[in-house]
Amino acid sequence: MVELFAGGPDEMVSGAGRIRGHWRSLMSVVGSLGRPAMAERGERLARAMADDGVASLLPGAASGGLWRLDPVPLPIMGEEFETLAAGIAQRARLLDAVLADLYGPQELLTGGQLPPSFVFGSPAFLRTARRSSVMPRRPMLHLYAVDLVRRPDGGWAVLQDRTSLCSGLGQLLENRRLLGAAMPEAFRASLPRSISPFFELWQEALIRLAPHGMRDPAVALLSPGTKDPHWFEHVVLSRELGCALVETGDLTMRGGALFLKTLAGLQPLDVVLSRVDAASLDPLDQPEVHAAGGVPGILDAVRHGALTLLNAPGAGLGEAPGLAAFLERLCPHLLGETLMLPSVQTHWLANADSPLPPMPKGHAAWAFRPAGQGAASELMERPATVPSGGLAAIALPPLPVAPSLEGAGLTPSPFVLRMFAVSDGVHWHVLPGGLARVASAATRLTGRLPGGGWCKDVWVPADPSEAIIGPAAQRGPPISIRRVPGAIPSRVADNLFWLGRYVERLDRAARLMRAAISRLRRGALLPRELAEISTLAICLREAQLVDDEAKPSAGSLLALADALERVARPGVRDLQGRIGMLMESVRDRLTADMHATFKQTLRTAEEALDNAPHELPDLARALLPSLRFANAVAGIASENMVRGGARLFLELGRRIERAQAVASEVAVALDGPPARIEAGLRLVLELCDSVITYRSRYLAVLQPAPALDLVLADPSNPRGLAFQLEAIQAALEEVAGKDGPAAEAARLLAQAEAITPKLLAAEDQALEATRHLSPLLRVMAAEIRALSDQVARRYFALLPPARAVGVDVGEAAVLKA
Amino acid sequence: MRAAMIYALRHRTAYRYARTVDLASHLLHLKPRPLPGQRVLSAHLTCLPKPDHHTETHDHFGNAATRLFMVAPHTAFEVTAESLVEVDFPPPPPADETWPWEDVAAAGLGAETADFLQPTGYVPLLAEATAFGAPSFPPGRTILKGLLDLNSRIRHEFTFQAGVTSTTTPIAEVLRTRRGVCQDFTQVMLAALRGLGLPARYMSGYVRTRPPAGQARRRGADQSHAWVGAWMGPTDGWVQLDPTNNIVVSDEHVVLAWGRDFSDISPLRGVLLGGGAHRLEVNVDLEPEKVT
Repeated sequence: MVELFAGGPDEMVSGAGRIRGHWRSLMSVVGSLGRPAMAERGERLARAMADDGVASLLPGAASGGLWRLDPVPLPIMGEEFETLAAGIAQRARLLDAVLADLYGPQELLTGGQLPPSFVFGSPAFLRTARRSSVMPRRPMLHLYAVDLVRRPDGGWAVLQDRTSLCSGLGQLLENRRLLGAAMPEAFRASLPRSISPFFELWQEALIRLAPHGMRDPAVALLSPGTKDPHWFEHVVLSRELGCALVETGDLTMRGGALFLKTLAGLQPLDVVLSRVDAASLDPLDQPEVHAAGGVPGILDAVRHGALTLLNAPGAGLGEAPGLAAFLERLCPHLLGETLMLPSVQTHWLANADSPLPPMPKGHAAWAFRPAGQGAASELMERPATVPSGGLAAIALPPLPVAPSLEGAGLTPSPFVLRMFAVSDGVHWHVLPGGLARVASAATRLTGRLPGGGWCKDVWVPADPSEAIIGPAAQRGPPISIRRVPGAIPSRVADNLFWLGRYVERLDRAARLMRAAISRLRRGALLPRELAEISTLAICLREAQLVDDEAKPSAGSLLALADALERVARPGVRDLQGRIGMLMESVRDRLTADMHATFKQTLRTAEEALDNAPHELPDLARALLPSLRFANAVAGIASENMVRGGARLFLELGRRIERAQAVASEVAVALDGPPARIEAGLRLVLELCDSVITYRSRYLAVLQPAPALDLVLADPSNPRGLAFQLEAIQAALEEVAGKDGPAAEAARLLAQAEAITPKLLAAEDQALEATRHLSPLLRVMAAEIRALSDQVARRYFALLPPARAVGVDVGEAAVLKA
Repeated sequence: MRAAMIYALRHRTAYRYARTVDLASHLLHLKPRPLPGQRVLSAHLTCLPKPDHHTETHDHFGNAATRLFMVAPHTAFEVTAESLVEVDFPPPPPADETWPWEDVAAAGLGAETADFLQPTGYVPLLAEATAFGAPSFPPGRTILKGLLDLNSRIRHEFTFQAGVTSTTTPIAEVLRTRRGVCQDFTQVMLAALRGLGLPARYMSGYVRTRPPAGQARRRGADQSHAWVGAWMGPTDGWVQLDPTNNIVVSDEHVVLAWGRDFSDISPLRGVLLGGGAHRLEVNVDLEPEKVT
């Protein structure tokens, strides 16, 4: 009995029990490090994986979609790699030729080389991508990935071809980077071939594949967004390839071409590397696509050559289960060559009673994949029914094994090897390396790459002569200098704006709650303190952190204490969750260090709140990390982010939120009898973090005009209102000049600055503050809110979702008389 | 000898929107398809407002497809398709001389026909539909005899009634209520045929507005019409059957396009940004131009 996950060919140890030559330098490093050091390296990698963001902040990501990287790489002999690379390139050419025919003349169907029902029954056959004969032939494949296992005879065989999304390259980049840091000795000893030339070639290929051979095309990576299990890969790849990261909502068609909606208007896109399933891309061509979910007309732009979409729409048919059964015969037919890199034995079964040949010798099991079902479709038993596109039966040989770190020791672990190739339209280039997925009975072997798992980096030893060949000193014409902030997609600006608002809102909430808790903890309250608590309760209520039941009275403060636990704590937790989502969605605008810092501090803040017992003093303590997080965001933004662009919107959001909060909190604090104004002033100084500044200026004398000047009109107080309005005005001017919202911000600033002279001129400052200033501040808070709406409407262009219309046959007709 | 009919075809579709439409894209299958038996003498589309961009292509099934893109705000959209078409589909061979239906089914997996056996969103494989079709195809019956029988049974066992179904009414419901319009009957017949392994396609087009002298007005006139194209095997090819009127298509129909179901070739479909509620008006005229 041959087993799938045990007894497969050993990559490291030869039949004679000797360690193979290309493993020796690596294993001597592993041996000299020793078990404890290796275990420590393994842990270091796990930590780095979690910190650097392969594990993301998104809900659910922590629970399963995680990659774990083994510290022991998988070396492949140089010679063996060259053979594989030639085979992979040939297979890519073959699949491209198959797809070009099936989306063109379909001679393979009329000539009987492929069963028509295999194609027409496959949900991966995208009818709208069919080209009429007058259209020029364009490559169908640009990127190709292949999963490999060893045949019982020792050669490699293809377990499955990937022609649509080809995931894994982002993970591979990350693996190489992390392993370089965790296992430097191994790199020195084994000298793996660099993978960067592959990415440079890829970048050039994207430019070369632009429509009409244009010279300076705009390239973008199209992602389904943060909800996609491979979002991290999209961030990494867009950065590596130096292209924009966009979502379908960022795109629009004009005059038959594709454009990106940015703050500076529409900017053309010429090449799109798509990670969105082509079948859900165009609601105009595909009625089953939700009208709001795609870009109507995008496939028409591809059809007419105005846009290069990679891989070409419909290329997913190349990975239809069962196609492998025909490749051996198609290769000589289409290319006039013998297939160099075969598939594992595969049979296409048209229907339920198609006979299944006996299991080939040395194989472990049949895997069955019905046509057109996604990743979840691998079956180990033959299903009773067969869909119209047929059923693929795949003979699985025992998986090859390689040593992996388990606990402190090395264990031979079964794996599947994924390799990648990219084409510039003429030549295919195979990446010297790969992604080995460690497999177990719980992993699926075929179907799409999962968002997580246990993997190994794959090394090809460097060719000694390669060292002297560097990348070309200069590629292409120099690009023009750009300093405008406008190239930022509207959606990203919107997300940054709201990230800024929520971070500031979190800061405000933590401050208000801590101020309330510190007073609730005191046993007997002075009348002044009771007044402060009442004011705080109103502020908390306006910030929707407590509900109406939390009104404190002299008799009982329990209702407020209860509401802080019941409403405010989950409210803050929810805010943290939203911040995490927004942070993930603007990830491509943050450096890896920034993202890591933000994420770590946010996670600490979340954990503090999750773990704190339900007691007020613990809650107050648990809010400190939230304050620290908000400070970290502010500090990093001002120190590390380029002025303009991403930082501008983050700042704008923070300043608008804070201006509105200061205005409404001061309005509440002043809303009372003039005799009690001192309590209000004290609280205002505390909430605006201005107690020390006030003392240094005015010692212990508390008067309305100096206190309110500091928090409302002094433009040098970064916690005061005037400072925020000045910053808002400056940011808005940078976005869109002095008119419109910027002018409104300037007007509000003038209003804030006029407060001090008015107070000083008043006969009774307390009376003026309570009677006139409080209502004025309420109005200002509302105007700041309106300003925020105006900014959002004007610059973020949140258009309503699209919808579909159609005419029912025999139904909507209006009969003539 | 029969005379070919020449028809003047005019199909006007007008949308009025409650609010401004900011962006609109429309996909049209409104140009008659040139065929043996159908000569398109002239065909053109006019639309208001004028599109900012438009393209003409042929789809996977060989039908002409027009795409219109409008970026200027508008509150009304009107498209008129006008053409002059000469129609004279040859009569099918004598029903007794066509292939036994089992042989047709056995030959149906070729490149020309396999696509028209696939289940689709609107025409799924449905045991009830197959069971409904089976009595028309007893063992050994010739394909055309069976097709004519099924065509006639649908006409007599179903009630033509506008307003009880929409494009999204599942055929299971139509089979239950036995009511509907041309599209429902067509899709029931497609499901029955495909269930028996017989290739069949959805035909979109029109039937003449006024009947020939002395005959009853055809059902489905004055609007978009649908019927069935059925395969009789490699020797006899395709025949068109209109189950709504229980006739074999000869010179009273004009073909726009064919596909697997309605969604492949809906005459007019759009994706709009904005617009709110809309009102729709459709007028179809198919009048004989002259008899040659």
